[in-house]
Amino acid sequence: MLLNILGETDLDDGVRLHIIKSDKFKTNLIGVYIKRPLLKEEATKNSMLSMLLNKGTEKYPSFFELNRKLEDLYGSILIADVMKRGEKHILQLKMQLPNSKYIDNKDILKEGLSILNGAINNPVIENGGFKRESFYQEKENLKEKIEGRINDKMKFAVERCAEKMCEDENYSIYEYGSLEELEKLEEKELYNYYQRILSTSPIDFFIVGNVEEEEVKGLFKEYMKFQREDIITIPRENIYKDISEVKEVEDNFNINQGKLTLGYRTNIPYDSDLYQSSILFSSILGGGPNSKLFKNVRERESLCYYIFSKIDKFKSIMLVSSGIEFENFQKTRDLIQEEVDSLKEGNFTEDDIEIAKKSIITSIKSLTDTPNILMDFLYSQILSDSLDDIENIISKIEAVNKESIMEAGKKFELDTIYFLNKEGEGRQ
Amino acid sequence: MEREIYSDILKEKIYFRKLDNGLEIFILPKKGYTKKFAIFGTRYGSIDNRFIIPGEKKVTDVPQGIAHFLEHKLFESEEEGVFARFSKLGSNVNAYTNFNSTCYLFSCTDKFHENLSILIDFVQSPYLTDENVEKEKGIIEQEIRMYEDNPNWKVFFNGLKAMYHNHPVKIDIAGTVDSIYRITKDELYRCYNSFYVPNNMVVFVVGDVDREKTYSTIEESLKSTYKKLEGEIERILPHEPIDVREKSIEEKLSVSMSLFNISFKNTDNFLEEKELLRRDIETKVILDMVFGKSSRLYKRLYEDGLINENFESEYTFDVSYGHSIIGGESKDPNRIYDILCQEIKSIKRDGLNREDFERIKKKSIGQHISSYNSVEFIANTFTSYYFKGINLFDYIIELQNLDLERVSERFNNHFDLDKSVLSLINPNN
Repeated sequence: MLLNILGETDLDDGVRLHIIKSDKFKTNLIGVYIKRPLLKEEATKNSMLSMLLNKGTEKYPSFFELNRKLEDLYGSILIADVMKRGEKHILQLKMQLPNSKYIDNKDILKEGLSILNGAINNPVIENGGFKRESFYQEKENLKEKIEGRINDKMKFAVERCAEKMCEDENYSIYEYGSLEELEKLEEKELYNYYQRILSTSPIDFFIVGNVEEEEVKGLFKEYMKFQREDIITIPRENIYKDISEVKEVEDNFNINQGKLTLGYRTNIPYDSDLYQSSILFSSILGGGPNSKLFKNVRERESLCYYIFSKIDKFKSIMLVSSGIEFENFQKTRDLIQEEVDSLKEGNFTEDDIEIAKKSIITSIKSLTDTPNILMDFLYSQILSDSLDDIENIISKIEAVNKESIMEAGKKFELDTIYFLNKEGEGRQ
Repeated sequence: MEREIYSDILKEKIYFRKLDNGLEIFILPKKGYTKKFAIFGTRYGSIDNRFIIPGEKKVTDVPQGIAHFLEHKLFESEEEGVFARFSKLGSNVNAYTNFNSTCYLFSCTDKFHENLSILIDFVQSPYLTDENVEKEKGIIEQEIRMYEDNPNWKVFFNGLKAMYHNHPVKIDIAGTVDSIYRITKDELYRCYNSFYVPNNMVVFVVGDVDREKTYSTIEESLKSTYKKLEGEIERILPHEPIDVREKSIEEKLSVSMSLFNISFKNTDNFLEEKELLRRDIETKVILDMVFGKSSRLYKRLYEDGLINENFESEYTFDVSYGHSIIGGESKDPNRIYDILCQEIKSIKRDGLNREDFERIKKKSIGQHISSYNSVEFIANTFTSYYFKGINLFDYIIELQNLDLERVSERFNNHFDLDKSVLSLINPNN
């Protein structure tokens, strides 16, 4: 057995604890995932909360004091962030502590949990709102973060394609929120919002490490207190759209390399029997150095250094992206489209399928070696209501065949072509 | 003969053996891990572009970026492609070139020994033709272009270019578009034959593996042509003045706000191994004490809104160079530079704080132990230190033995404001 999941415990209404016992790690990693719908009026707030929650607690009221305490706990780490999973927005905190076996502090887990509880349940409050000074400081930092997304052009070109493709859907909301919403936000309003989401959102705790089940359950019950009300249900995202014509979008920056992204609707939900086949389709197309795109666009044509394709499980879209010379835009997009069409027609071998399967299976098995990746993976299964054994996931992948991959591929539809171009080079 | 070292603090054991041809093999067993990870690396990186081959009188000068180019080309094969061979086993193969080394690596969950023999085999089997060398140029050109739009990379390299007069660490690892187009098949072979020799290389394996079988898989995969060079290759480094070339450097790019790197240059190098390691640890602890998230300086800059969470420091070194870099994003980087200078002056006057020292030491110990969770960290870091003559297991011991007096001395010598550089990337719109 690859994983020892010691079942789940209800800590409170809609608050669950998942314990993954493993004696191979030097650390204990604790994660908290607070689930929200991805909405324009909430995303910026969640994002602001992720900026504030690891900056101070009632007991350690500033970033400075909190960091000193964490350092004193042998370099423990507390991070807070948001992540977008389909049209769900997750506010998460993670705390990494060295296991007491390796250091001279037997109570480190207890101390860590108490700090984590402080970060979640006892943030620094004044006059019924988040402390004004830190709020405005973090507001400015979030503004810089949102504006700063253009600094990573590779990531930007992928995200922008998806946003343009889904511009009338909530999926187009940027995970760190918007400047317009941020401008309006105030410290009291945010604190009220936080109280509301703490009492109404589904919350999942995880711990990965060499821990004893009963002891951990006891500690969580002792240190993590919640006041719960009616728990919200979050609707499933719509994945279908009528495409009358392929959308073409371009942004212009003063840059040295063009970035091309093609966005496809797979039309295959994650609980469909064809889902694993759609993953394999994407993997054969652009999943690594053995893929069609790597071999043909990079190795044969020398058009690029990087090219890949990936699928968003929850929104059922496939994004293909590459960095190229500006003048090779048309040539590269034609080549990518040809490769996709050719796969749909079945121009791939049993070898290609085997290789793609093995590659996916290796990455699934490997994630059990990294606590953080493992935790995110397990949570993504919770999001799709399919907490499954790794052995079962692997057998579903093994069951895929050429027919099902072609059947899946035929459902894929090109929706948007996005190009990040240099300035003054508008394509007509 | 196999030897072993046990670390009581890390609770890890490392085994190693040196073959007759000079190749050293290290194995760090990781019980219960699914992933197995191996590196086959050579001490040959972007700074090794002038050297004398044993038996020759003439100095060989090669174009910038050739070590990285060679790394790309080793994936070419006369028969089945290297990527295809690993892909069939479901494993991931990759490689990287840095200033001092080129490393080939794979990770797998199954058929470890088959993977290992492919790794050992392909690194020994260059297959270069005029045609496949030409073909690679377009690909590497796009890799260079990608980095040209990466502001973190640019601010870093511009800083090195301003800091160093002559040392090749200032040269971009991938070279320039111009220099790579000048690279030829013959030069690539010449570099290969000089540096891809057993006494300049190492194999590092991490994972739940059978040791005896690992050694024998490696030995059986070695070719008869894989032999020590007769005599030592002489790497030629130019004279590097103590001072910096320029105090500041600026470039404009498509970014939302300014990025900065403030760098400090080592003024003495070529220390023996233990001293090199001690200096590395001392410098890292200082950086954390003075510029880390719990420092007085960080608090001030953060509260004044001059920095955000992307404010970091690092120390990078090899035998022939070393520098500290403090970097981040800011609305007013010149102001940061001024405040940083004031802080350094005031610490020089008042000394480092003992409580900060003890706390950061504790933190560094905890984080170093925690990093042994990662098979990639272990293999990459061990290899990198090995090429500097350091055994990574000594790191935690030296860290525990660290004392404030030496750290203070290092602070006073290293943080010389006359030898600092401010590198800036400003928005171009």
